[in-house]
Amino acid sequence: MAPQQAALVNLSPAELSFLRASLAQTPPIRLDVTKGPRDFRSMRAEYDVLPGANGSARIALEDGTEALVGVKAEVEKTPQRPASGEQEDVEMHDEEVGEGAGKGQNSWVEMSVEVPGFREDDSLPVFLASMLKESLLASRELRDRLYINRRFHWKLYVDVLLLSPALSYPLALLSMTTHLALLTTLLPALKSEKDEDPLFDDDWDAAVALYPKAAGKSTDKPPVIILAMAVGPNIIFDPCKEELAVADAVLAIACTNSASSATGARIVSIRTIDPPSHLTPPGIPNSMNSATGGTVPTSSTDALTQRELLATSGVWTPPRGGMKRTLVSQVTKMVVESGGVAEEVISALAAIEVG
Amino acid sequence: MSLPALALPGQLLGHTDKYLPGPGTHIHEQQIYASIAGPVLSSPSPSRSAQTTSNASTKSKLVPLLSISRPPNTTSDPGILGTGSGGGAPILPEVDSVVLARITRLGPRFATCEILVINSTVCREAFQGQIRREDIRATEKDKIKIEESFRVGDLVRGTVISLGDQSNYYVATDRNEFGVVMARSEEGRLMYPVSWREFRDPVTGRGESRKAAKPF
Amino acid sequence: MNTDRRRNNAPAGGTTAPVFARTIREPGYLQSLRPSRSRGLNELRRIFLQTSIIPSASGSAYLEIPSSSAPVTLTLIPPTSSLKITASVQGPKPLPRSAPFSPSLLLTTTVKFAPFATRNRRGYIRDTTERDLGVHLETALRGVIIGERWPKSGVEVVVTILEGDEDGWWGDSGSEGSASGSGWGLLNVLAGCITVVSAAITDAGIDCVDVVTGGVAAIARTSDSGNSKVVARLLDPCPAEHKEIVAACAVAYLASRDEITEIWMKGDCGQDTDALTEGATHSAVGSLAVVKEVLLEALQAKFQGQLEASEGSLKRKVGDVDMTG
Repeated sequence: MAPQQAALVNLSPAELSFLRASLAQTPPIRLDVTKGPRDFRSMRAEYDVLPGANGSARIALEDGTEALVGVKAEVEKTPQRPASGEQEDVEMHDEEVGEGAGKGQNSWVEMSVEVPGFREDDSLPVFLASMLKESLLASRELRDRLYINRRFHWKLYVDVLLLSPALSYPLALLSMTTHLALLTTLLPALKSEKDEDPLFDDDWDAAVALYPKAAGKSTDKPPVIILAMAVGPNIIFDPCKEELAVADAVLAIACTNSASSATGARIVSIRTIDPPSHLTPPGIPNSMNSATGGTVPTSSTDALTQRELLATSGVWTPPRGGMKRTLVSQVTKMVVESGGVAEEVISALAAIEVG
Repeated sequence: MSLPALALPGQLLGHTDKYLPGPGTHIHEQQIYASIAGPVLSSPSPSRSAQTTSNASTKSKLVPLLSISRPPNTTSDPGILGTGSGGGAPILPEVDSVVLARITRLGPRFATCEILVINSTVCREAFQGQIRREDIRATEKDKIKIEESFRVGDLVRGTVISLGDQSNYYVATDRNEFGVVMARSEEGRLMYPVSWREFRDPVTGRGESRKAAKPF
Repeated sequence: MNTDRRRNNAPAGGTTAPVFARTIREPGYLQSLRPSRSRGLNELRRIFLQTSIIPSASGSAYLEIPSSSAPVTLTLIPPTSSLKITASVQGPKPLPRSAPFSPSLLLTTTVKFAPFATRNRRGYIRDTTERDLGVHLETALRGVIIGERWPKSGVEVVVTILEGDEDGWWGDSGSEGSASGSGWGLLNVLAGCITVVSAAITDAGIDCVDVVTGGVAAIARTSDSGNSKVVARLLDPCPAEHKEIVAACAVAYLASRDEITEIWMKGDCGQDTDALTEGATHSAVGSLAVVKEVLLEALQAKFQGQLEASEGSLKRKVGDVDMTG
């Protein structure tokens, strides 16, 4: 029964009601009034910050949340299936060209998320880690690239550290940092051949990128997770902590660049996130408060009836229910369309590496 | 539109113009829906509530109150395992519920008790309650002494006055019919009340002071 | 992390399920055991549901989705897995003393696989997938429960999975590791959990905005079409029956409001996810029909006794009057 959400906001019912009303009007007025519904918070990003890791990145948001990601690759022995020897030999010959295509295993990638103030088996870090991991593994290319030979493979450890307390829901920040770290991860070049014990080139310049960049061609990139929330009819991206407290529903959408075209994106994972708004205290209207000239309801039945009739009066009531189906598809469309939010984020992160 | 006899959560019951929502229902987009499973009851609206509610009074006409009744605490024989799955209504102390509580601890400013029965329904689990010194009786509040009102183990009838703080419900016994209903003497014998402030041991005849509840 | 300190455990990953000799000697034999989907693409597996099964809980339910293919007597391993889930709801009950004041109902969900639920044994300590499932389930329920009606109390939802859907066919796990750990079976498990808990919560009489049910849809490459990659959408996929699932989606769906409280989509979903979510909601509506039927039946049984008792007492009174008069 630990507090589920990272640090519930302390807003009064009146403040919540005001914030919701301003977010629900068209166009919405956000907490930071200079931002539109699709604007992200500004951030400072750098990569290759850790000399001991194969790839690393650090991103700091303007509100002070900061994340650090280190990617380490180590060689691990692939457990041999005792029996299927002959059979696999046959298969190996025609797959030699495919270079381990379809050979990768999900267990070759390990992800851990550390959030200060949470135990590593608390639900928040577990949820964050499994969402990041499943979006990473959704396409086969990554795990197939970890294949060295039949006896050995790379084991990829992605360690995500949130350096500051979780001020807002940290999923988007962590995923962007992970994206940048993976994008700049280099694996040492292999010198040995076939099924020998693997030996590597110690020249860092010869190392191959985990996500190879082919000039001019769109290659696959690690996924990024985008947080979107719905308030009334409006969809707002990258919500801050206070905005989340009045959300009707929150979606986390993991996407990566689309394989077929240079623009747009494809979705690799979607999850709903339980908005903290469900746990906010309901407001008490003046008509039910004897201190403001109202009458306290005489029975609990009476109180319930009056509460229900309040729905449209502007007194804060925690939202109920989920997200309309049309709204879900609207959000995904806004994310993946050509020139959509996902493309913007991915190209912005790619620009960091280039520039 | 006729009302269904039995409703499941999420079932449409009627428009808010025609009915008022009662227990077991909720409003979504101007329509009343069921929120628990059970038989639908439509009772004439208590006029008092229609007037006190500001927006109901503007409607001015009296609309029937829709509610869904919970399964009764069925059985006279609850069995050793409790009332049975899905049997009784889950019950929580509310403001104004009459409760039976056992005193568990005496402090200088308050007595701690555990609420065992709420509105003649036995709880599955005891709720932690507190009787503050000034809530014990209505008169001469400054002269109340906790140890002259309750003893650990006494069974007390009281009413919930507040949901209280994080751990305790606040219980008051400041009416004649509230107070100790069952008490044991120092020797462990069940005592009988003789006045609003005294219980007596039937064998030794020794009196002990308590805030006694008026017997019915 | 998550080590069981109370027992002497074997080293993690040190054991495997047995490999049977005949499957190695004759690869053709192994393939002949491969189950295939015999239902239509939009056909769901049958569902068995019962409420009020645990007397000490305030609400409970049991769900079973039996294996769709006929049992094979030739081999020790069932070709497809089935789903058996129990759920119990404890409360609303007082919060522990250490918990801060809460204006609404605090929901705790615990999802646990029984150690024997899957082909590979599960431990006693909840692992990350089980915790993750717990979070998903909580998200699905939080939007449904009207929490403000139960201030300062908690409700515990405990789900035990007695038999869980596998991530893939057991025969595939030897040759290619793609299915293991992919978690396709988890989506089915989650949808089952949502459905069974929804029935249990209704049984417990906790205020909900609707009966929420879970449903799964998937996009799979159908293997029977040879080399050409035919992609088809199917409802209620049984992962063992499909060689390659491309993407799948589980939802918790409120049919009367057309709302989704929980969506879990994974895999290579491409640009347009609407077909997948729509399929999952169709599947959820299918299970809703079962849940409604079962709940109504239970409700009638529950209130039948009350109605008869009140009628009976009335009659007795009338009889008394007759006697005296």
